[in-house]
Amino acid sequence: MSVNDERIALERVNTPPAQTWNYLRTNDITLTVPAHSRKGDVFFALPRLFEQVECGMGPKVTEWVESQAADAHYVEVRAGVQRAEPIIAEDDTGVMVRAGAEATIVIGASPTEEALDTSASLVRIIAERDTTVHVLEFVAENADQHVHSVGITAGANARIDVRQFFLAAGTTAAGLTVALDGDHARLDLSCRYLGREHDVLDINHVVRQRGRQTRANVRESGVLDGHARKALRATIDLIHGSSGSEGAELESVLVLSDDVTNKTMPVILCDEDDVAGNHGASIGSIAPEQIQYLRDRGLSLEEAEALYQRALFDEALIAAPTAGIRHTVLARATAVLGADVANDLVAGLGLDEAKEV
Amino acid sequence: MSERTKKRTQVADVDRSLYDFTYSEEGYERYDDGLTPDIVRAISEKKDEPEWMLNMRLAALDTYHAKEMASNWGPSIAGLDMDHISTYVSPRTKQAKSWDDVPDDIKNTFERLGIPEAERESLAGVGAQYDSEIVYHNMREEVAKEGVVYTTIEDALHDPQWEPIVHEYFGTLIPPADHKFAALHYAVWSGGSFVYVPAGVTVDYPLQSYFRLNAEGAGQFEHTLIIVEEGANLHFIEGCSAPKYYEANLHAGAVELFVKDGARLRYSTIENWSKNMYNLNTKRARVGADAKMEWVSGSFGSHVSYLYPTTILQGDRSSCEFSGITFAGATQDLDTGCKVILNGANTTATVDTKSISKDGGCNTFRSSVVVGRRAANARCSVSCQSLMLDDISRSDTIPAMDVRNATASVGHEATIGRISDDTVLYLMSRGCSEAEARTMVVGGFANPVSKELPLEYAVEMNNLIKLEMEGAIG
Amino acid sequence: MQHQLLRVQGLCAGTEDKPILHNIDLTVGAGETHVLMGPNGAGKSTLGHVIMGDPAYMVSTGSIEFDGTDVTDEAADKRSLAGIFLSYQAPVEVPGVPLYSYLRTITQKRPELKMTARKFRARVGEMAEQLDMDSSFLTRELNVGFSGGEKKKIEMLQLLLLKPKLAIMDETDSGLDVDALSVVSRGIEAYRAECDGALLVITHNTRILERLTVDRTHVMVQGRLVAEGPASLIDDIDAHGFEQFEHPQANGSGE
Repeated sequence: MSVNDERIALERVNTPPAQTWNYLRTNDITLTVPAHSRKGDVFFALPRLFEQVECGMGPKVTEWVESQAADAHYVEVRAGVQRAEPIIAEDDTGVMVRAGAEATIVIGASPTEEALDTSASLVRIIAERDTTVHVLEFVAENADQHVHSVGITAGANARIDVRQFFLAAGTTAAGLTVALDGDHARLDLSCRYLGREHDVLDINHVVRQRGRQTRANVRESGVLDGHARKALRATIDLIHGSSGSEGAELESVLVLSDDVTNKTMPVILCDEDDVAGNHGASIGSIAPEQIQYLRDRGLSLEEAEALYQRALFDEALIAAPTAGIRHTVLARATAVLGADVANDLVAGLGLDEAKEV
Repeated sequence: MSERTKKRTQVADVDRSLYDFTYSEEGYERYDDGLTPDIVRAISEKKDEPEWMLNMRLAALDTYHAKEMASNWGPSIAGLDMDHISTYVSPRTKQAKSWDDVPDDIKNTFERLGIPEAERESLAGVGAQYDSEIVYHNMREEVAKEGVVYTTIEDALHDPQWEPIVHEYFGTLIPPADHKFAALHYAVWSGGSFVYVPAGVTVDYPLQSYFRLNAEGAGQFEHTLIIVEEGANLHFIEGCSAPKYYEANLHAGAVELFVKDGARLRYSTIENWSKNMYNLNTKRARVGADAKMEWVSGSFGSHVSYLYPTTILQGDRSSCEFSGITFAGATQDLDTGCKVILNGANTTATVDTKSISKDGGCNTFRSSVVVGRRAANARCSVSCQSLMLDDISRSDTIPAMDVRNATASVGHEATIGRISDDTVLYLMSRGCSEAEARTMVVGGFANPVSKELPLEYAVEMNNLIKLEMEGAIG
Repeated sequence: MQHQLLRVQGLCAGTEDKPILHNIDLTVGAGETHVLMGPNGAGKSTLGHVIMGDPAYMVSTGSIEFDGTDVTDEAADKRSLAGIFLSYQAPVEVPGVPLYSYLRTITQKRPELKMTARKFRARVGEMAEQLDMDSSFLTRELNVGFSGGEKKKIEMLQLLLLKPKLAIMDETDSGLDVDALSVVSRGIEAYRAECDGALLVITHNTRILERLTVDRTHVMVQGRLVAEGPASLIDDIDAHGFEQFEHPQANGSGE
């Protein structure tokens, strides 16, 4: 989505449910985004029930994307169906995964020739009972800023796994809320990010654990270099009635430069006693014993640091399900690691032999 | 799930009967409720202050009126109406150096709180504040001989030797514009302590100040200023309590601690305000090179607390340790934690906090760790554990970290849960009754903090978390 | 006599506050298999780490020569590229780096091993099979969440991939079950067969040695090499333990 006329400010978006001292400037982000007037146009909107899906970046962003996207895309996966072909979610998309079905939903823009001003998407997913939903989110496209909001509600026994790769240059603001409403619903979330040069990353993860015996496993890890600024807010909300539930969140950040600003706010909210919540964060450079292990195998310190960046792209490429996403990730890998390493990634993973989709 | 695992631990509420007694304030000097420049002038005039102090008060009052409360903050303080709070209440008595000279009702109050006894047995000096004024202040002779000063700020301001020192330090670490209630504090502050420990002096026994708020609908705004010079060593204890009223009381004290190079300060607090108290207290320490700051903090009382002692590790190789426990029972909403700012190279900070929530009480652990660009090799670890004793209570953990140095290492871990059934079963399999097992677990949970307290306070704390275990309820 | 690959002479080393190794002389010829034995805490692992260049230890006197070059002051990565390999007793977990990315990076560092990414992938696949490793290991983070036995397999995989001139096995056999032990043995055999590399096996039990042809055996007690002999010395230790070596040096010069 790209428009270049009027601009508006989305003030204090991507907020967590519980906030802290404002002077720390870690509660939210304010974005200036294009706002093309659509007065007089009528677009296809999602069914109203998607309004109930809480999205990570909050209502202001939802409203803005809805006002800017053309037709909303509604996709339904019928009960019991195992859908092999991934669902490509762009702009404003709502996916209904009916009971017992399995689906893969891919969020990430296709490569474009010229750089965009703003890339944005709003994806809402309703996963009914006994579903298995894989969500793959790639933010690597060529744009000045990236605004991506995702909301998922999960019914009983639903298995949700989300893998996020935030690799783009510029400003990335991304929010994800997963509501584990049904008993025994489960979320596994892995988020990998890279911040370099003057990149800005603002990530908000919220897990609402409402059902009994729900499980949430959230893991973020990233590499920050140059003058990158990152804020991660991760909230585990153990709501009254979620007895027997467990929520765990863990972030590890590798800081490679003194000019990096790394902000982390891992929150647990809890009003239920029969639950277990824990979170952890470790922030710093590569541990001495890890450096030594890598040196013993022949890597200098600089090479060890570069390895962490390469690893991010290796993982993203392995996970990339479509040729379009692969191209996007590869273009970014070329910019970050150089063409030689990028080609090596592709050949090593056998992607050059794979049939292009 | 078996019946046994559904049982919940019965922990009696903190027993406040010890603190819940009042004496008439008949004949006391009580200023009108509300906040006006006239009241501020009256307080200043009564204290016969230097002009700079009056000016500071009046400027702070303007700041107070100008500052907004943040709208996205935790516990509500809607029940606090400054138009119904008297900012100054004073018993008509002179500050005494001997308990015999303290009026009977006030003396009885402190006797019941065990202060004179503790002074005889284990303290180097005691200050006792009743409502807005210090009523008793004394320090052992041998400590005074070493050049240690322990007095009120009011007295220090009247001493030509110390007035310039107070002027130099007062309000510099916590500026009046820091936040709305800091501004309020500076407008109407009264009482508190001034401590000066000369370079190289180790005070062998702790000094203790005790703050008692007896009056209903009143505020207490004591100011504590402690300067520990290079290589000196001090343990300072602060206790506070009040009887329960229905009208809101307010405590907005300020504690400024200057820990110079190579010095060491331990600051212990047992706070047991009554459940009509808004405890909006500000504490801050600045720590010099190779110096060490230790905080031990037990928060049991008050209706609403905002309490986040701050440590600024300014000097290289300085360090701090923070141990805290907060117990929130029925009607309590306690937002507590700490802030650490690591500015010096090779600084280290360790934060270890515990919270217990029961009977609908609400605990919020809130912290911030900021590592500056200059803080090469800084190390900070934060550990926060919360125990939920029933399913109507609440426990939130809201830490924030801001790291700007590549060689710094910051770790954080937090857990929330209830007493593990496995642990109880294990202890029962070794012959403990279930009640004993649960008592043991809660006691063990609080132990890392209580063991940091002086013995008589540890005993008091264990009495506070008086554990009365019952059988099943389900 | 074979070409001398490793020559340690008069080596004294330890941590900042504590000397551990005293006057060590040790020579390993190219393609030879040496065993370093001794009771727990004798300093065997320390010697392995000092040869590798672990900065946790400081060399006070003596020298380490490898392949004709003095490497005493070289950093560990230089020694690695020169052909020394240390298999860790407890391999370090490296979160954030998948095994594949790691293996590719350390291989590309060595001109003699450079190959196309496609060929590399095939080679790693073969080796994984040889070591009974599931190929899904390759996309998992290096050593993270692997069992002790699996970690040792990953060490063996690196050994076969890098083909070092000297492999130091630091208690590689400790804590392994029979199956894992057999994988390690197979790995070592394959290494010997494929590149005729030298081995220095550090161990305190003799089980792993059953399938190896040992050239020399060294015994370390309290930071000193107190005995050296042929392979038969192992049987002697098996029968009589280390006690026989623990006292003679009391007659020696001491500190």
